[in-house]
Amino acid sequence: MSFLVEVFLEAVRALGDFGPELREVVGLTLLIALLSTLLGCLLGIPLGVAVALGRSRGLGVVRTLIGVGMGLPPVLVGLVLLLLLWRAGPFGGLGLTFTPTAMVIAQTVLAAPVAAGVTLAAVEGLPESAREQLGAMRLPYLVGARLALVETRSGVIAAAAAAFGRVIGEVGAVLVIGGNILGETRVLTTLIVQESRQGRFGIAIAAGMVLLFLSLMVNVGFERLRRP
Amino acid sequence: MNWRFPADGSLVDVVGFEPAGHTGLIGPNGSGKTTLLRLMAGTLGESGLSDVSYLPQRPFMFRTTVGKNLAIGLDAEEASHAVQLLERLGLGREMLVAPAAHLSGGERQKVALARALGRRTRIVLLDEPLTAIAAQDRARAIEVIREAAGERVLVVVAHDLDELVALVDELLVIFDGRLRQRGRLSEVLVAPADLDVARLMGVSNLLEGVVLSGGEGLLEVEVNGLPVFGTGDLEPQVRCRVLFPAESVSVHRGPETGSPRNRWRGTVGAIRPHGRLVELTVDVGFPVVAWLTQGSAETLAIQTGEVVELSVKATAVRVIAS
Repeated sequence: MSFLVEVFLEAVRALGDFGPELREVVGLTLLIALLSTLLGCLLGIPLGVAVALGRSRGLGVVRTLIGVGMGLPPVLVGLVLLLLLWRAGPFGGLGLTFTPTAMVIAQTVLAAPVAAGVTLAAVEGLPESAREQLGAMRLPYLVGARLALVETRSGVIAAAAAAFGRVIGEVGAVLVIGGNILGETRVLTTLIVQESRQGRFGIAIAAGMVLLFLSLMVNVGFERLRRP
Repeated sequence: MNWRFPADGSLVDVVGFEPAGHTGLIGPNGSGKTTLLRLMAGTLGESGLSDVSYLPQRPFMFRTTVGKNLAIGLDAEEASHAVQLLERLGLGREMLVAPAAHLSGGERQKVALARALGRRTRIVLLDEPLTAIAAQDRARAIEVIREAAGERVLVVVAHDLDELVALVDELLVIFDGRLRQRGRLSEVLVAPADLDVARLMGVSNLLEGVVLSGGEGLLEVEVNGLPVFGTGDLEPQVRCRVLFPAESVSVHRGPETGSPRNRWRGTVGAIRPHGRLVELTVDVGFPVVAWLTQGSAETLAIQTGEVVELSVKATAVRVIAS
């Protein structure tokens, strides 16, 4: 028991210092998570609306693919992206391996299907009369999509929150594609992996607390947006 | 035709129905009239008619003001037309800034109706436009629809004839996804194709017979071996249909002493409530449906299996060729 108390006290001390181990990674963690949530939403939300409002036959396949995308193993996404960006790979010339840019790309791939899936469910959850009315007015596509989105506002915000949730706590993709380089690509989750491997549990727990706090703050923001 | 039909084969009879003029689609609930309208509107199936404005059965208001809801999908000129129509329907301009969520069902219907009529399209499709509108506002709404539809093609769905008589010239009667009758409104009213259509038109008694003798508009018809008197213009020996409404049948305990030509005696079968009335089915050699008020039903104290006298004036009975 005294061991756990000791770890906890060490964590509190680390938080109090907020030394370079933590300081440097907090900003990058938030930046990468928010950027990939934003990009994932920009891709995923329109896709979700399009699939929900569309009536083509092939959309069942797209739905299935969105479902698969929601469950993609992050470490696999990191690996495939690493191969694509590897010096000898097809996009090796970009020199993006082990960069924050590559981390954002990987997490966008993870976030977009989640945003799409939750949006899809929310728009489909609109009352039948709303969908009929939207169809009835034969609106230009973007006008109709916008109306549907406004109508299911909390569904869209839930989509963004789910996308953020998918990336903020994710370690597999960012570790493989980012490499956990201090001062360059280290984020809170990879920091936790590293510190706990080395037995520095206090710092690891402190990083975990910061992670939870960031998540709390962002979700408070989402909740404020949701309320009219 | 540029719209398609459900895969189950229903509504196939309506293939080739290109709406023209002002047409009513009538039929009981679940008969397929809304489906037909949705196919035309294109919210069901692969494509609808083009240049269509469509009022769905349950209009939906988006989470914004009345004015913005009214203007969705309309250009500036159409929107101002819609505002005028809405005013005529009884919702003033001061309502435009109110949130649409505060509207009552009837007010929503008016907004949706004004929006649908406000669009300048060649075809206007209205699904039960008057059902949600209060009785005292209906006459005005009918007038607004008539004027706004003008020379355009209008298709109105209703399950109640009263909503259609003032709006349409042609009627399509649909039962179970099948077209039962199509014709001018007056034609269908006077000569319903069968008992179902006759009931829908408010005529509860439809019998098959043969004209025995004619003259001066009064015909004698034989129905199941019994004489029935009615009005019409047919030659003797012609097969015919005899129609009379349930409310034209008088029910008595003893022999009727007045002038009615048709007097029948029969056994009371079913006794059912019919709205505020009581519906009797009496077997007089053929079934006759009669309506009584609650009061007279109690006074007469009629029970199933009893023998009663019925009478119908010949002027209430229409005889048409079958």
